Amino acid sequence: MNKEFVPRITSFLCKWCSYTGADLAGTSRLQYSASIIPIQVMCSSRVDPVFLLKAYLSGSDGVLLGGCHPGDCHYETGNYHTRRRFAIVREVFESLGLESDRLRLSWISASEGPKFARIANEFTEEIRLLGENPTRKSIFL
Amino acid sequence: MRAKVGVYICECGPNIAEKVDIDGIIAGLSEFDGFGETELVVKKYGFLCSKSGREFLEEEIRNLGLTHLVIGACSPRDHDSTFKGVCGRTDLNPYLYRIINIREHCSWVIDDVEKATEKAESYLRGGIARVLRQSELFENPIDVNPDVLVIGGGVAGMQAALSLAAEDRRVSIVERSDRLGGRALELSGLSSGTFRGSDIAAGQVESVMGNPYIDVFLNTGVSSVIGFLGNFVIELLSDEDGATTEISSGAIIAATGCAVYDPSLSGSYNYSDRDDVYNPLEISRMLSSEGGVALRSGGRPENIALVHCAGRDELNYCSGICCGVMMKTALLLKESIPGVDITEFYRDICVPPHEGRQLYESVLEAGVDLVRVESAGLSGTTVSFREKSGVEDQRSFDMVVTAPALIPSPDTADIALLLGIPLDDTGFFQEAHRMTDPSGTTTDGVFIAGTSQGPRGILDSMRFARASAGLILTRLIIGEKLVPEVAVSEILEAYCTGCGNCLEVCVYGAIYSDGSKGVSVVNEAICRGCGNCFGSCPSGALRTKHFTNTQLYREVDEALR
Repeated sequence: MNKEFVPRITSFLCKWCSYTGADLAGTSRLQYSASIIPIQVMCSSRVDPVFLLKAYLSGSDGVLLGGCHPGDCHYETGNYHTRRRFAIVREVFESLGLESDRLRLSWISASEGPKFARIANEFTEEIRLLGENPTRKSIFL
Repeated sequence: MRAKVGVYICECGPNIAEKVDIDGIIAGLSEFDGFGETELVVKKYGFLCSKSGREFLEEEIRNLGLTHLVIGACSPRDHDSTFKGVCGRTDLNPYLYRIINIREHCSWVIDDVEKATEKAESYLRGGIARVLRQSELFENPIDVNPDVLVIGGGVAGMQAALSLAAEDRRVSIVERSDRLGGRALELSGLSSGTFRGSDIAAGQVESVMGNPYIDVFLNTGVSSVIGFLGNFVIELLSDEDGATTEISSGAIIAATGCAVYDPSLSGSYNYSDRDDVYNPLEISRMLSSEGGVALRSGGRPENIALVHCAGRDELNYCSGICCGVMMKTALLLKESIPGVDITEFYRDICVPPHEGRQLYESVLEAGVDLVRVESAGLSGTTVSFREKSGVEDQRSFDMVVTAPALIPSPDTADIALLLGIPLDDTGFFQEAHRMTDPSGTTTDGVFIAGTSQGPRGILDSMRFARASAGLILTRLIIGEKLVPEVAVSEILEAYCTGCGNCLEVCVYGAIYSDGSKGVSVVNEAICRGCGNCFGSCPSGALRTKHFTNTQLYREVDEALR
């Protein structure tokens, strides 16, 4: 591996908060890692636990899930469901012997462009330390 | 038919072109053979959102016979609807198009041209993979009823009705009591100066009664509500004879008002009916009566205590308007009873900026004694209190006026249930979103106004009523049809076990249980397409149109390739 390892982080971003926050990072010209692959979802609760697993098994080095802050969900309570489901997915990851640190849930509001950029960089750095997704090179499932 | 995907990359002037090697992407995508039989047409354009850009796209779609369209440009928040409109002017179904945001997510945030280009290309590949799995969807515009039902005939309800009637909308006001006007009419004794709340209410009653667009149902409640934005059917129940009336409307405004807390329910206010302890509404009545303010024994009080914040600790919120009411009460009592001594026991002064400041200064000028306390209690008309400094004391008065909190009116919870809207943790109607949608609710077409959504004064109640009326006027336009959300959830009957998980997570009540089949069913007219139900389904019966698993999986796979 001579080439610099750029992690690939599939990022599920809710339309109302986190995606808009990412847009704001863009309009503010904040520079952050090229690792983020954004996928817009209507609500973070739309992200079925299986999506996180799927994104990981498809070769993402990290999976980021971004939603509105608790209490700010555009659909009232969606992010509370997300929070519970996410906790379960992490458990399942652990029990499958996968690295649950490759999953991250963050609350990023529409006005938090700098936070989005910071989290993108922070998470990328964490993933860089963890290295490439080990399932990418092995046959799994 | 062989798919032919048009991929058009917008230069957005220098915004994308300078940071992303568009020609490199065009070359890369043109050589890419991962889409099998699918033919790709990849081109760039200066500004796709411009008039010439839109016309260029329309011609491309028509002349090349494109089956799908992918635009690499800006955020969908900027131009998604623009390009949907482009499709709409051709034969291409708008749901076979997708916008990929390579400006906000690539060119503006990644300085390194090589990395930005690489990301943009894989992002676009993901978009192409996904669009190939999208299916045509058709919008079904529905006729809407522009009439409005207003529940509650107080200042908020009447203001909403008058604002709507001024725009030729037919409005029905349903009022539980035997008169219009609500609490504001009870405040005539406390009305002073240029702003007289009770006069405003009385004026509204007159306008409502004389307005040909407004029907008023007194002594009437609501017994059932079915339907959705644009088409509600409501059953009204007369309290007098039990007769029911069915009316239809396109929207509903709930303005059911509030009630006043009874301080004697709190442990620290001990008094009975025989004591001269009153609330501001009772003082208002005395002030406007012939006898004026008098003690139960008949004489005039020589000293009066005004005790703020009754119920604040028990209910755990500040009503926000009582300080102003108490100051007004103090001034009017001073005016009405010459030489009376007034002491106000307050914790914090909470008043609106402009009028509040003036009131506060008038109270100081009038010689009212203001005592800041940490807590205060009553034993009859004796006030025991602990000052901020920690000193505890008690003083006896001829009369005491308390400032009880405003609480939800008794039928708030019932109305909320009928309308399918939640209550907040203080028991008032909860707005759809505190900041972005303070007059809407989780039920599309149901709006709230006045003190039913929390304590507020007459002016604020009227402001919120106007806001709700305005929202209805812009959402339900006479002669225009409404396009319901198309990308909604659906439940596959064959897979559904009828467990009901999805019913529980849906805050809009868009899913119901079909008992005869033992399955859950989505009411597409109510569904907002958030997809929360999807994650709750253990049997894989749920689908979200325009966001299927296959679409997502293909996008992820391709973007990660």
